[in-house]
Amino acid sequence: MYFPKHEFVYAHDPEKKCKTGDMVLIEQLPQKLTRLITHKVKHVLYPLGDVTDPITGKKVIAGKFRDHIDAINKVYGEREGAFKYESAPARGWQEDQKDFSHQETYIKYHESGEHDPLAV
Amino acid sequence: MNNYRFILKEIEKLTLNKTFVRNYAFKSDLKIKWVRPEVIPSYKPGKSGDLGGVPPIEKQQFMLDFKNSKELQTANENVKKLFTLEFAPKKFTNRIYFSSLIEQVKRHDYDVGSIEVKMAKWTGVIRAFQDIMERFPTNRRLKVKLKELIDKRKKHLKYLRRWDYKKFEWLLATLNLEYKPHPPKYHSITRKESLQKLTDKYCEDIVQSRLKQYHSQLEIEQIAFLEEKIRTLAFIRDEEKHCGVQHTVTEEEIDEIRKQLDELKQKRDCIA
Repeated sequence: MYFPKHEFVYAHDPEKKCKTGDMVLIEQLPQKLTRLITHKVKHVLYPLGDVTDPITGKKVIAGKFRDHIDAINKVYGEREGAFKYESAPARGWQEDQKDFSHQETYIKYHESGEHDPLAV
Repeated sequence: MNNYRFILKEIEKLTLNKTFVRNYAFKSDLKIKWVRPEVIPSYKPGKSGDLGGVPPIEKQQFMLDFKNSKELQTANENVKKLFTLEFAPKKFTNRIYFSSLIEQVKRHDYDVGSIEVKMAKWTGVIRAFQDIMERFPTNRRLKVKLKELIDKRKKHLKYLRRWDYKKFEWLLATLNLEYKPHPPKYHSITRKESLQKLTDKYCEDIVQSRLKQYHSQLEIEQIAFLEEKIRTLAFIRDEEKHCGVQHTVTEEEIDEIRKQLDELKQKRDCIA
């Protein structure tokens, strides 16, 4: 999709439904909640890294259907330790442990002695 | 007339001395000490995101290509010894390590090109190179190769995150990697800018601590305020009744505040 202009919208999400990078549907509030918050999050359309093809409704990984990849793996013989989508936990279990991509990093400018993972 | 001008100038000087003037050579008298962060080379594990290095590998095992050899099983002891890692170059030990990493993430037995396998291979090579860099820090060619490989792995981790988040997180956990995105802007660290940021942080901390203090103070006054409110509303209700004017305060309104007060008192008792 091509958007000639970008617009920042502040949307209220008390249940913390959405995560960084998700594509969500928002609704305008009848009244402004604060000076900035004008919308609320209705629901998450497409979570980041869990792509669904809108036409077939199948899961996709970078140009290939997940079913097709699984079928190929089955022919070769599945392994014990291989990654499985059914038993994989939902996104966020490595957040703040090994995955720091939900926040912006910055260049370290001061040696405070405290551990700050976001200071690169 | 001149006298007046003189007096006016003097007054100006006095007022100027009192007000705060910030000239070009302004120096903050806050007790903030800035420590310049140590520069970590990009190839070090701290920057590349490798949380674990190469573990010690047993030297008594056979080289990878001869592991399943039938002839070697029945061979002479000395021949067997010659085919162990002890007598082989370092690259054969590394191969064992790479294959052990790949074994953890393989999709199937014939998998050599999936993104998991690629990532495991790169991770193994990066860790082996990092070990060499520790021993030979002046090896520039290796440094460049290592940096390029680290950047490539990071780029592919970025793609994987966008395409398949669950696998991305699983890979980070199994390969013991850390992923931090690039900062929005790369710039050199200067004393002035760092001090500005630290001062901003200092001021923000003061604001937050004072707000917290004010909040706790208001919480203490809450019970007394509600009691006063009930009394005032009751007084207004009685006065209106007495004067025969239209009632603006209802009984329910006062009851609601009483209820609020009781709940608050109960909550405080529970905490205490």
